Amino acid sequence: MSKPVRRLTIAVALVVAISACSSTKESASPSTTSGVGVSTTASGAAFASIAAEVRGQTVNWYMYGGSDTINAFATGFVATTLKDKYGITLNQVKVGDTVEAVNKVLGEKQAGKTTDGSVDAIWINGENFASGKQADLWECGFVKDLPSAKNVDFANPNVVNDFGLPVEGCESPWQQANSALVYDSAKLGAADVSSMTSLFDWAKAHPGQLTYPAPPDFTGSMFVRTAFYDTNGGPKAFLGKFDAGKYQPAADKTWARLNDLKPSLWMKGTTYPQTQTEVAKLYAEGTVAAYLTYGPGLVGKEVDKGTYPKTTREAVFTDGNIGNISNIAVPKNAAHKAAGKVLAEVLLSPESQVEYFKEAGGFPAISADKAGPNFKRELDAVPVSPSVLPLGELTKNALPELEKAYVVKIEQDWKTNVLQK
Amino acid sequence: VSRRRQLSRQVRIWLLLSPALAIVGALFLGGLLLGVVQSFGYLPLIGRSLGSLDAYRAVWRDPAVRASLILTLRTALVATALSSVLGVAGALTVRATRRGRRLASLVFQYNLSVPHSVGALCMLLLLQQSGLASRLAGAAGLGGGERSFPVVVHDRFGWAIVAELVWKETPFIGVVVLAALSSGVQELEDAARSLGAGAWQRLRMIVVPLVTPGLVATSVIVFAFSFGSYEVPFLLGRPFPATLPVVSYQYYRDTDLNARPQAMAISVGIAAFVGTLVVCYAAALDRFVRRTG
Repeated sequence: MSKPVRRLTIAVALVVAISACSSTKESASPSTTSGVGVSTTASGAAFASIAAEVRGQTVNWYMYGGSDTINAFATGFVATTLKDKYGITLNQVKVGDTVEAVNKVLGEKQAGKTTDGSVDAIWINGENFASGKQADLWECGFVKDLPSAKNVDFANPNVVNDFGLPVEGCESPWQQANSALVYDSAKLGAADVSSMTSLFDWAKAHPGQLTYPAPPDFTGSMFVRTAFYDTNGGPKAFLGKFDAGKYQPAADKTWARLNDLKPSLWMKGTTYPQTQTEVAKLYAEGTVAAYLTYGPGLVGKEVDKGTYPKTTREAVFTDGNIGNISNIAVPKNAAHKAAGKVLAEVLLSPESQVEYFKEAGGFPAISADKAGPNFKRELDAVPVSPSVLPLGELTKNALPELEKAYVVKIEQDWKTNVLQK
Repeated sequence: VSRRRQLSRQVRIWLLLSPALAIVGALFLGGLLLGVVQSFGYLPLIGRSLGSLDAYRAVWRDPAVRASLILTLRTALVATALSSVLGVAGALTVRATRRGRRLASLVFQYNLSVPHSVGALCMLLLLQQSGLASRLAGAAGLGGGERSFPVVVHDRFGWAIVAELVWKETPFIGVVVLAALSSGVQELEDAARSLGAGAWQRLRMIVVPLVTPGLVATSVIVFAFSFGSYEVPFLLGRPFPATLPVVSYQYYRDTDLNARPQAMAISVGIAAFVGTLVVCYAAALDRFVRRTG
């Protein structure tokens, strides 16, 4: 009888998903190093008291774990800095999709756990930030107390709003994600990658070598939004609150265009990869010759490792490229809330921002003008792979993200009008 | 005295079982209950309350779910049928092996401890167009390269899903059938043969009745598992049409919290369907045993 019970338990495990356990490894050993570098400026006073209470704690950082390079940065530089400077042990908890971490906090809140929650910090994107805000999950107003917040350009619309939703100090900036096209220059020429139209023309002449992950995958959703912008003269008409009257004709045109492209896609467009990781794999094995990414800085490492061909290059369309800032959110019910905030500070510090760019090609979320000439010099000194576009080019013509209502509607309608057609 | 001793034995058994039962009960039934409650729209976090069938209606209207029903039933049925046939055939072969029977049964059962997700990844590396099978075929001069290799991964039918489930479940069924065959069957057959029964008669009158309860039980389990399996169709299938558990998780992954009840409605549907199936099976088996026993 035990076997049927076990099997059935697995069969219904989806329902029980809420009770999923964490892989928390509590190994906090009190650090012996002294707390140096804690700022004592005006906002620093509040932070100093935060930093004082975290010594010896473990911070459970839930983050997308699909990139080895980023994982190495987290368990290397970040973990060491946390330990040496604040006496905090980092426990990196890798998730395949950020929504899993949000679901965990949500599940805990539903179960009445308002303190002692198991998630102390999440690397979060706009959509998941919005759903967490909808359920009032986040600790708010802490960002201004972080000493490194003085380097953040709070006039930047991408900092003030996340996918159209006011941030209101409920998440701390970490990195800038600028989309770009990754392509094999042995297969595509400069003219083929200058615009979405020329890329689609190339794909039609070379069927089976282009694809994108099915939304709601984060990057797949960006591919479809890029097409949406490109088909409708850019994002300008759609900024602000959702407008069905403007949306519908624009969306219809976009679906017609994507359906027209479909037979030329990988597997003749009969199906799509489910994750961006699969797309990257298809590129690595040479099946696909071009793809859009949110992480252009990571491509250099793949070329160095030999995973990608040496002829790999990047391009942004002349009409611009979508960009956003991803953040660190601290759940209200976190057991180590203060440690979560310290993690946000460590990630935001100029040293860490430079190191992240050096190690993983992640672009800084702080403003080079505000962080001072030293920061800028160090940033410029980082050697950039010939496969990667310089930051200046990636941000020259950055396009904003739309409000979440648009994003969700585009994802849902893509499913009905493109995937299921 | 003996009655009291028996009673205390009973109590002891239940006491010893209670920690395990408490965990199964709290986690399994608790989770199930939470799922059911949420499927009726109970999400106080975003100000929704109990008592609506909206999620079930929405799910029923969703073309992704409709396409999913057929796909899920088809892959589960085909996988169960194939692994039942192969499992019985394998068990009979192992039984007939005179020398090296131990080795044969070991080879037959080698994959029982390999998780499904690992099996699915192996199928992916083996069967996709750029996979090992395609490259070997190309090296052997068969076919015209990767693109001419038949599409069996991420295909519409779900062949790779079926292949993984059959690969994994055939030994499971085989082990149970083998166990049923080893308990005194040989003696019964010898007796029947001495009374003049032919091979076909022996199979029909002895082997089939003895094997049937175990075979039906395991195939119901295999079907229930295949129907509710997530990682295999996620790794080897398509985003559309996808099997029910994958569609449920797509809803669960939705960043819009209003989609949670739909995810739960599908999961409750899967649980209800599989649960009903098991209850029907138990009733049928009961009748079968009473008739033949």
